[in-house]
Amino acid sequence: MPANSLLLSSSPHVYSGVTTRRLMLSVIIALLPATVFGVVLYGLPALGVILTSVAASVLSEAGFRALLKRDIRIGDLSAVVTGLLLALIIPPSTPLWMVALGAVFAIVVAKEFFGGLGANPFNPALVGRAIMIMSFPAALTTWHSPFAPIADAYTTATPLNLLKMGQSLTDVASTVGASTPAGLYWNLLIGTRAGSIGESSVILLLAGAAFLLIMGVIAWVTPVFMLGSIALFSWILGVDPLVAVISGGAVLGAFFMATDYASTPMTPKGKAIFGIGAGLVTVLIRQFGGFPEGVTYGILIMNAFAPFLNKLRVPKYGFVKPAKPAKEGSR
Amino acid sequence: MERKTFRGGAHPPERKDRTSELPIEYVRSVKQVVVPVNQHFGPPIQPLVKVGDSVKRGQKIADAEGRMTVPVHAPISGVVKKIEPRLQPNNAEGPAIVIEPDGSDVVDFLPVLDAFSCTKDQALARIREAGIVGMGGAGFPAHVKLAPPPNKPIDVVIANAAECEPYLTIDERLLAERPGDVVDGMAILLKTLGVAKGVIGLEANKEHLVPLLSETIAERRREGQEISVIVLETKYPQGGEKMLITAITGKEVPSGGLPMDVGCVVQNVGTLAAVADAFNKGQPLIERGFTVTGGACKTPKNLVVPIGTLVSDLVPDTIQVDDENLARVVAGGPMMGPAVPSYAFPIQKNTSGVLLMDKAEARYFQEQPCIRCGRCMRACSCRLSPALLNEALNAGDLDAAEAIGVLDCIECGTCSFVCPSRIQLVQRFRIGKQLLRAKKQKEAQRAR
Repeated sequence: MPANSLLLSSSPHVYSGVTTRRLMLSVIIALLPATVFGVVLYGLPALGVILTSVAASVLSEAGFRALLKRDIRIGDLSAVVTGLLLALIIPPSTPLWMVALGAVFAIVVAKEFFGGLGANPFNPALVGRAIMIMSFPAALTTWHSPFAPIADAYTTATPLNLLKMGQSLTDVASTVGASTPAGLYWNLLIGTRAGSIGESSVILLLAGAAFLLIMGVIAWVTPVFMLGSIALFSWILGVDPLVAVISGGAVLGAFFMATDYASTPMTPKGKAIFGIGAGLVTVLIRQFGGFPEGVTYGILIMNAFAPFLNKLRVPKYGFVKPAKPAKEGSR
Repeated sequence: MERKTFRGGAHPPERKDRTSELPIEYVRSVKQVVVPVNQHFGPPIQPLVKVGDSVKRGQKIADAEGRMTVPVHAPISGVVKKIEPRLQPNNAEGPAIVIEPDGSDVVDFLPVLDAFSCTKDQALARIREAGIVGMGGAGFPAHVKLAPPPNKPIDVVIANAAECEPYLTIDERLLAERPGDVVDGMAILLKTLGVAKGVIGLEANKEHLVPLLSETIAERRREGQEISVIVLETKYPQGGEKMLITAITGKEVPSGGLPMDVGCVVQNVGTLAAVADAFNKGQPLIERGFTVTGGACKTPKNLVVPIGTLVSDLVPDTIQVDDENLARVVAGGPMMGPAVPSYAFPIQKNTSGVLLMDKAEARYFQEQPCIRCGRCMRACSCRLSPALLNEALNAGDLDAAEAIGVLDCIECGTCSFVCPSRIQLVQRFRIGKQLLRAKKQKEAQRAR
């Protein structure tokens, strides 16, 4: 009998097939329809942004960890997810050097400085975008019509820009080639409108989200509460709730950013409050802030609350409310 | 039909098909037995025999005073050769009585006792004297569960036939081959406790046994007793005592409490059969069944052997091992059973399986960083937050760990099973529990 070759580990001795790499791969697969659609809408420049962002993310993670003499973890694909997400939330005309800078910032400052995978308090892709928007406000708010060559001469505005400028739904509808608000809804769902590379097609994003929900990769709580909150607060402030939900980056943010594991709460109650808060901040920024879109900051601000929201745990099995402490000396 | 179950849990691969159809094989003659003296959950007991003594099969060979003690009996007739510390399946050394057979096979059983005409005290004494402990794993003294304090009325006895651990099929075979003894054991417990309602709970993967069990119950129907079978969802850890109670009654055992706090007594089906033997045959608990299987086991089987039989003594006549590919030996099931350094360990009263895992099964992973995906929290059958608990313990914050509920952890291992980063969650919680208990003890001493 081989006496010393036996493994002596503590139970359990069997493991599920789910790995971090598989979870990240699922997210990439879920984002693919919207990614491909982005390239269809804006052509090669969009593809360039996507590839640059992913490459810069992966290389900067590998490079930074090599510099620190730590294990290289790019095999877990989390850097690919960050790079892809960052590319999908910036305009297709963003100069590639800016894209690379944003990706490096997202990975090195927002993720690795805090300890890498799972330790980042803020969503790295959103931090990358926030930094880019502050550093290069013009480039990051230059929008282009779909299916048109990307050149400065053809810049346009997103439906959210127009709404913010006080245009009516019918006016906005006309800018996307629709004659009625119903046409606008349809247009927003399909995604043939100006915007960031991957945020526009609500249908394709929902398809990806459905895949992640079915695979059990993400929970429904945060997205449902966040979109519900955007609809509710928009309606209170007199904005069409459906347009509020299906325009801008709300759907992409709710299903793919607010469900980020590391930077959002893990408990169901925490997720619900996170979603409500992120929706509220988004609407407030859209209505009263300096930017037409607020999803980025809505989620980033709520990220800061995640550790506290994690304290809202589900009562454990067999939980009994502690009795009042017995009086001293009664025993 | 929606099946009853509990919240959380996971679906590890069952891998029961290699043995679920195989009838139990009985091994009667072995070249020696190594009987651990302490096989129960409770204070230690003392050997009653000396080296050189002749013992009869069924003779009491170790015992002590005390409510939580359970005696041990000679599983074979023969001569006591040694009393010395030996490795037990829990990886600790403990005193063990080594008996070699003398070929006589003299029997010294207890007199047959009719549970339905004797007093409650007589019945409880018989269950203790027969050395019966919970055979599902914990080894809790059976008679203690049956004597709840008067302020804890019992209203249902639950037979745990869930067998939720992957690989194991011994309980399933026992139900298929000895349903009468299981039902008799249940009837005896109902009579002893003065309870009318008994429930046999099994997972849906054993649903084909329901007609047989129902028939057996109908045949042995007794006035004032109502025994039923409930099919539960196949989900780990359905056979955990608390999860089984919740699935069947809808009640939750209060934190820090016992099943009796919600009016339940839970016994494994093997224990019930042992109770039937103790009354109907006068036979103490001197043998038990277990499943031997795994990728490195060439002869997967359901076996019944004398307590104290070394698994290595069954090789190669009864069990053949693929030693080349053997990578891990587990005493029990793969979710909760401890890995042992060799298969030269004795079968105890609570050993339900022997897993001989091959290299493909016995994988070992490096821990990856927690990605905070929350899978462990959804899977935890106790609704704890394993990821946060892990964080607290890594930070050395025992108070936070206690607040999250580390002491409520039933150590089922579901969190570690589902973790995509292969973090040793339950492994750390076991240590955390010990540290916390040690800390509390120290504080209590200081307070005195």
